[in-house]
Amino acid sequence: MSARRTTRRRTAPRFREDLLEALSNAAGVSGDEERVRALVVDAVRDHVDSLEVDAMGNLVARIGLDSAGARARRNGSASRGRRAPHVMLCAHMDEVGVMVIAIEKEGRLKIRRAGGIDPRIMPGQVFRVGAPGVRGVVGILPPHLVCHPDEEKVIPFDDLYLDIGAASREEASEHVAVGDYAVFDTTYERWGRTRKGKAFDDRAGCAVLASLVQERPPVPVTAVWSVQEEVGLRGATAAARRVAPDLALVLEGTASGEAPGASEGESAPRMGAGPTLTVHDRTLMADVRLVELMRKVGAERKIPTQWKRPGVGGTDAGKISLSGAGVPSAVVSIACRYIHAPAAYLDARDAQRTVDLVWHSLHALGKEWSER
Amino acid sequence: MSPAAPDSLESMLPQLLSAFGPPGREAGVRAALRRLLRGAGPFQQDVTGNLHVRREGSGRRLLLAAHMDAPGIIVTRLEPDPGKARIAVLGGRKPSELVGAMARFEDNRTGVVTWERKDGADPEADQLLLETGLGKPRRAGSRAKGGGRPGPALEVGEVAALDERPVRLGDYWCAANLDNRAGCAAVVRALTRSRRVRYDVHAVFTAQSDLGARGATTGAYGVEPELAVVVDVAHWGEPKETSGFTPGEGPCVALKEQGFLAHPEMLEVVRKAARSARVPLQYLIREGEGSDARAVRAARTGVPTAVIAIPARRTGGVWSLMHARDLEQTAELIAAILAGSGEARVSSAGRANRTAGAARAASKRTKRGGRR
Repeated sequence: MSARRTTRRRTAPRFREDLLEALSNAAGVSGDEERVRALVVDAVRDHVDSLEVDAMGNLVARIGLDSAGARARRNGSASRGRRAPHVMLCAHMDEVGVMVIAIEKEGRLKIRRAGGIDPRIMPGQVFRVGAPGVRGVVGILPPHLVCHPDEEKVIPFDDLYLDIGAASREEASEHVAVGDYAVFDTTYERWGRTRKGKAFDDRAGCAVLASLVQERPPVPVTAVWSVQEEVGLRGATAAARRVAPDLALVLEGTASGEAPGASEGESAPRMGAGPTLTVHDRTLMADVRLVELMRKVGAERKIPTQWKRPGVGGTDAGKISLSGAGVPSAVVSIACRYIHAPAAYLDARDAQRTVDLVWHSLHALGKEWSER
Repeated sequence: MSPAAPDSLESMLPQLLSAFGPPGREAGVRAALRRLLRGAGPFQQDVTGNLHVRREGSGRRLLLAAHMDAPGIIVTRLEPDPGKARIAVLGGRKPSELVGAMARFEDNRTGVVTWERKDGADPEADQLLLETGLGKPRRAGSRAKGGGRPGPALEVGEVAALDERPVRLGDYWCAANLDNRAGCAAVVRALTRSRRVRYDVHAVFTAQSDLGARGATTGAYGVEPELAVVVDVAHWGEPKETSGFTPGEGPCVALKEQGFLAHPEMLEVVRKAARSARVPLQYLIREGEGSDARAVRAARTGVPTAVIAIPARRTGGVWSLMHARDLEQTAELIAAILAGSGEARVSSAGRANRTAGAARAASKRTKRGGRR
């Protein structure tokens, strides 16, 4: 075994924060992931064996597999009767946002949600609309004009509109078209260890995945940056059928429970407490062996791990795990405050630790994993 | 046959009812099934946790599916009191049904389900608590899996089963897990009493059914059946259910349920088999509730499927009641189907001399012809 490989095994790749910044700032609501995809392509094209965009728009990169997607021969492993598993790593490129569904006579834009946004956070938000990023605000009457009982009401999503300042439909149509997407107008920032930006669900996962493939992983890997997760785990459903991996790890930005007055139990998972592992969510019972392996790797490598609150949320792993005759699947997430909102926060240490945990877990999988 | 005969339902059912098997954690039921089916055929466990047993025959490939998971609970967060935890229902039960039930973890730690009374209404999903009385940290190695270091009395993500001890009340079985350990028992009984089978039978005890027919999705994909029979439980008097059947008057065959309409030919197979076995047959039409059939019938390119459901009554808590004769007759009905009593006499002529492969090819041709 070469010294170079030994060194590789010891150190995980560095987390590409520059990429997280670019990805977070890019607009890419479900169905409109093109710009995000282009950034990922630029970041990984020199490190992977093949790179393609599938029919749905998923970006699929292969490392250590031959062109047909079959497992490339690896020294020794096959002859010992156990082959290294083909691992699908997946992170979704899309973010929650809104779509322009009509332009009204007065120049206002009617909008519809794409993905889960709480209507309580909407009034007054600034959005960037369409490819040129025209700014618009979700209009609401000022307090002067609102009678008392209405102040307490949550405005239903159907009553919300975006105002870009246009005075008429004609004027608005010069800049915006029906079908355009809009994203929160947020720019990435640093504050101590905290990183602030929009769409950390799941650009954080995208950046972790791109960071991982900078180095050659120890097992055959198909990396998938998936589309349309926020509207029903659609991209990964198609990708998993095609990739047909031996097992899958989904990389996510997940909801931190931290809030004023929350007990310790309620706060979990929390920023800065290490990668978050899933036992069970609405879509998945995580594969027990895979989770145990990652916990063990975490303990050995002194990477703290924490549990995601069971039973809530759902990820691409749900669909991947039910693909074909079944795929052992697990989720590793970075705990982020305020996901699905204008600005999410994460702890930069968690991002690097997530790269570390997955990297070392891939090594452990190469050594220890066997089919049941 | 005396009631104590080891392969009788009287003897088998209690073993299945008391086996550990919440969704995604079915190891206990799998072990019980392997024990009860010793010698019945080769076993295989798939990625999702389904247990496959093959009983070779020369006819078409028939999937015989019964889900083995039963609703349980999962610890979602720890309360400040160390023996107390917030829990969520794992599987298809209302929170109100769980209050007062005993929950047991795989390593026998036990607790009672209580709820946080906020008002007089039924408990919400987030108000269920588990009280274990376990004040001190567990000793090292006390957890069945991943033990070795002392931990808290409970850990987030741990899964427990509900009230597993069956009671016999006159002609009725009374238990929390009848749905669907009774179905499993009927399948085991049918397999063990059938000397010869007409089909190439793939019995699959499916996992994670209560989380949305997940095991059936991957299991049916793996088997790639030509026909399927799903065995489950039908609850009498459920809201939205037409309840056109009476407990104690024989097994039901489903005409319609969530995601499933009876396949006419398979319906005829069940009817004929019932006539030949002299088993009374009732009809099940239900909405808002379904079985593994919704996944099985859609597997691969589609599978003609029948649902046989054993009548049961729910009590409002976790317990339900099932007439012992209904269960016996369900086993007889399944055995009659496996023996080929449901097939038209015409189609059986001349098959005896064919090889299994030729018979399968022929039946595939017939099936295609029949679909036109």
